[in-house]
Amino acid sequence: MRKQYLLVLLLVAFSVLTISGCKKKNKEVVNVFNWAEYISEDILEDFEKETGIEVVYSTYDSNESMYSKVKLLKGSGYDLIFPSTYYIAKMIKDGLLAPMDLSKLPNVKELDKALLNQSYDKGNKYSIPFMWGITGIAVNSKFINPDNVTSWKDLWDAEYKGKVIVQNDIREVFHIGLTSLGYSGNSTDPKEIEAAYNELVKLYPSIRLFNSDSPKVPLLNEEVYIGLVWGGEVFMAAKENPDIKFIYPKEGAIGWGDCYAIPVGADNKDNAYKLINFLLRPDISARISEEYGYASPSPKSREFLPKDIAESDILYPSQEEMNKIEFQNDVFESIIVYEKYWEQLKTVN
Amino acid sequence: MKERNFFNVVTVAIIALWLLIFAFIPNIMMFIISFFERSETGFFDVAFTLNNYKSFFSSLYFQVLFNSFKMATITTVLVLVIGYPFAYILARSNFKYKSLLAILVIIPYWTSALIRTYAIKVLLTTNGIINTVLENIGIIDAPLNLLYTEGAVILGLVYTLLPFMILPLYATIDKLDVRYIEAAGDLGASRLKVFMYIIIPLTVPGIIAGCLLVFLPSLGLFYIPDILGGAKNLLIGNLVKDQFLLARNWPFGAAVSNLLMIIMAFMLFAYYKSAKKINSKVL
Repeated sequence: MRKQYLLVLLLVAFSVLTISGCKKKNKEVVNVFNWAEYISEDILEDFEKETGIEVVYSTYDSNESMYSKVKLLKGSGYDLIFPSTYYIAKMIKDGLLAPMDLSKLPNVKELDKALLNQSYDKGNKYSIPFMWGITGIAVNSKFINPDNVTSWKDLWDAEYKGKVIVQNDIREVFHIGLTSLGYSGNSTDPKEIEAAYNELVKLYPSIRLFNSDSPKVPLLNEEVYIGLVWGGEVFMAAKENPDIKFIYPKEGAIGWGDCYAIPVGADNKDNAYKLINFLLRPDISARISEEYGYASPSPKSREFLPKDIAESDILYPSQEEMNKIEFQNDVFESIIVYEKYWEQLKTVN
Repeated sequence: MKERNFFNVVTVAIIALWLLIFAFIPNIMMFIISFFERSETGFFDVAFTLNNYKSFFSSLYFQVLFNSFKMATITTVLVLVIGYPFAYILARSNFKYKSLLAILVIIPYWTSALIRTYAIKVLLTTNGIINTVLENIGIIDAPLNLLYTEGAVILGLVYTLLPFMILPLYATIDKLDVRYIEAAGDLGASRLKVFMYIIIPLTVPGIIAGCLLVFLPSLGLFYIPDILGGAKNLLIGNLVKDQFLLARNWPFGAAVSNLLMIIMAFMLFAYYKSAKKINSKVL
């Protein structure tokens, strides 16, 4: 019996020693917390080779789980995070983000001015765009004449009953309800949200399905002919079936994106700046964009992209459409109102 | 002997510790949080309230609960109707390798449930196998809308949960004492009467176990309505998920999940009671 105690003790001692042994390396690091499938490993290896800074990389799959961890650690533990636009606003309000020192980021000059200074972070004091995209209307021109579709309101057309797909996303679905009434897609007014709900109740019978994972599949299978779908998916669907077209609604497409941000308690802020500056380089940004189908915020990066991507008006809207895009912002406590109507929409109807 | 005891203590202690840390303590935390208030900036405010439980008793959430129970009930009945004859024939057959047949029931379930659900989707789509075959043999002119319907959800649930009904039924029917059936027959009972009054009562524990094993998971399998039903209906599992991840209302999410747990505990208790009663009376 003694022997076994001894064995257990030895095992514990051994594991403690090895774990603490690992931590003793005195090396420059940057702790990155990013969405899964966003930056490929070879890009990080290039950064390590160039700067000698080791990248410690971990991933999350929702803004909420990232927020929970950063919040629990009170903004320490990670040096670089990638919240979505509307989470930037929330985390600024919670005091979880450190102000950005733009003088340490010479490559900011590469960014498209139209993407800066958005409502979620006026003046880009705390965040810089990383990757972005839009959500608009997808149409199968075999069944529906794309010229007849110009507005979100066309989704309500009785002709398309049972043939409409929408994103399974509370904010985007309410966005079309709100903007079709002329309100902001980021409305926090309970009356406006209720009015949007009443519109969505009328849309509900037309909806065949809610899908955000892979909306291109029902489009390609001809289960649905029209719907609210994000640009990257329509781009891929159109490659397989040229009948599928993307339409910018006259109310303006929905803009979304993820941003670079540095948590307030980050230990290696300078290394985080170095990494941001590296990822902002047009050639690097192009590699990320090409691999995962999001749009790069740097106009110059298009020189490094294959022609069909760089010239796609689905992935890169014209200046005119750019100006109409409304980016998603936090709705703060009104999310409860949204959530209530969302539940009601899916339950009562 | 002493060595052995030590080994037992260590294994049990490890498992107990595991359950304590990863099941019991989180559940206790959920229980406590469900009495707190929602916080704007944090996860919850430490202030006692019963509002989370009160707000569940609104017509909206009753509708969610009702929809979930309706789906679960339809699924359970269908699985029972399909599974009972199957288990009966399997258990009563004279086939030499019948336990091998029982294993064959399980083998498809070694594949991930998600993959099997996507496979059903492939069968049901507009230009999928079922529609193509029906169109080619001239039964239908235009493809049927099979996917993203309630029927598709029920099909997915029934398919996924069938073995949970067959296996407990197989176990009880297999153990059935043939002498009862023979005696009933000798005393002049018809085959239908033997089935109604002898076989069914004797297999009630299996039926109840199977029904519970089907009913309870079908309340929580939110990915099947999402994939096959087009995420159009909110079930109780989706509600809990959304409260935590979307509305950031941990206290309410905790309260809903506690209520669900209470309902499940009550059903398990009823099962335990009835099983005990039946065992003492009949066996």
